[in-house]
Amino acid sequence: MSHSSGQKFMTGAEIATQAAVDAGAEMMYGYPITPVTEVFTNWIKQGQKYLQTEDEIAAGFAVCGAAMAGQKAFTATSGPGHILMQDALSMAEGMRLPFVAIVAQRGGPSSGTVIYSQQEVTLACFGGNGEGLRLVYSPGTLAELYTLIRRAFNESWQYYFPAIVLTDGYTVKTRGLVDLENLKMENVVSAPLVVEGEIKHWPNIFTFEEELYSEVMKSKTDFDKITANIATAEEYQTDDAEILLIAHGIVGAATKVAVDQLRSAGKKVGLFRPITLRPLAAARLNNAVKKVKKIICIESSLGQLARIIKDELAPDIQVSFEYLQYPGLGIEIDEIVSRVSKF
Amino acid sequence: MLKNEILKILLAGDGGQGIQLLSDIICRSAIDQGLQAASIPNYGLEQRGGVSLSFVQVGIKEIIYPKFTKPNILLIMSEQARARVKQHQFAETKIIDIVDFKIKMDEVGVSAKSQNIFFLGMLTKMLAAMDFCNQATVLKLLEKKLGAKLDWEENKKAFEQGLLCAA
Repeated sequence: MSHSSGQKFMTGAEIATQAAVDAGAEMMYGYPITPVTEVFTNWIKQGQKYLQTEDEIAAGFAVCGAAMAGQKAFTATSGPGHILMQDALSMAEGMRLPFVAIVAQRGGPSSGTVIYSQQEVTLACFGGNGEGLRLVYSPGTLAELYTLIRRAFNESWQYYFPAIVLTDGYTVKTRGLVDLENLKMENVVSAPLVVEGEIKHWPNIFTFEEELYSEVMKSKTDFDKITANIATAEEYQTDDAEILLIAHGIVGAATKVAVDQLRSAGKKVGLFRPITLRPLAAARLNNAVKKVKKIICIESSLGQLARIIKDELAPDIQVSFEYLQYPGLGIEIDEIVSRVSKF
Repeated sequence: MLKNEILKILLAGDGGQGIQLLSDIICRSAIDQGLQAASIPNYGLEQRGGVSLSFVQVGIKEIIYPKFTKPNILLIMSEQARARVKQHQFAETKIIDIVDFKIKMDEVGVSAKSQNIFFLGMLTKMLAAMDFCNQATVLKLLEKKLGAKLDWEENKKAFEQGLLCAA
């Protein structure tokens, strides 16, 4: 046996940093917080430009300002820092700024735990006083962490929506083998959003309700237009599935292995794994659930994914739901197999 | 244990005992054998003196999920680590507990700071017997990490004693 020459033994944090470098990121603004601190420290170790701000509020608004000036910038945060960053993310949503954030979920509420959860889904997708017009990606593996960070930079700069790569402490802390050489992609070029000499009135506050309404609806129309290009999901063994398991991120990856084991035991299960949580691949979801008798949503939270799924299901679809919910707790393959076997 | 299964090793000790070093060497040695390897550390909130764990997996199959409840091998290097890993002890788990080797390590002159290397020797012997690592590779990786340090000979001796103890 041998490994391909491009394979390296890397942590998720190292992979995230490399993805940002390869995406052409020029600057990181951030405030350290477990479990994403190593993204920041690895970036600094590589000699890249950075600014450690006084808190995540400042880091977020620094990314907003940098994006306006055409600088490909990003930040990384988690849990309480993610909460503080919602103010800036909301501005990025309103002003259509290419804001890139790597968020590694930790347990909540509040400071919770420093390791793992899937409890920042609602915050990432719908945090702030807006309509959730953000691009939110959920990587299941180390390789996918890399490709989704590259996509986040590209799609944010192409479509001018904030982009969040919503990972977790397990993924950024895990060290594993990955071949980044096969995952390369072209970069979307960044440019100042206001060219030098141009005078542009570019508000994030409006006098009249009608003005704000018009802006929000324009963004909504744009978001709907790009959904087909961006919304991504993995479907696995869904053709003849009677039970559809829905899970995202690292739980989705574990569920895929569980599907194989359950199939070996004669259970007709399949997997729908949203890779983008915003926008969700709703058309594919609705197609996948047509023939199933039951949906089981599996997640490390009390229904944050399930609520999104239910919201995106077509009104005429009648299917029963079951839930495996472990707020803030990792879900191992054996546990999924054992629990799903009973349905 | 078949080589086509994933071998799960949980290393548990105090911060500063070198748990993450062992984890790194075991993984890199397995990779050198052409195997898949993954590890994830787990610490508490303590800045110092807390428990340090490493969940290590090696095998032919791709490793999808980094954590596990049931280890095949569990190394316990301290009292507080023993308390932390209670839920990971099963009938089929091979437990290597420092309390069972204190006398032996004293007899053969393994110092406190080389205890992790003694256990690396033991683990190497066990893993090599299952083709999950190569003894010479482990020693080479260890030398690369610690060879330049003053106490290298002491560490090397601890490694050799660990190999003998597992035999």
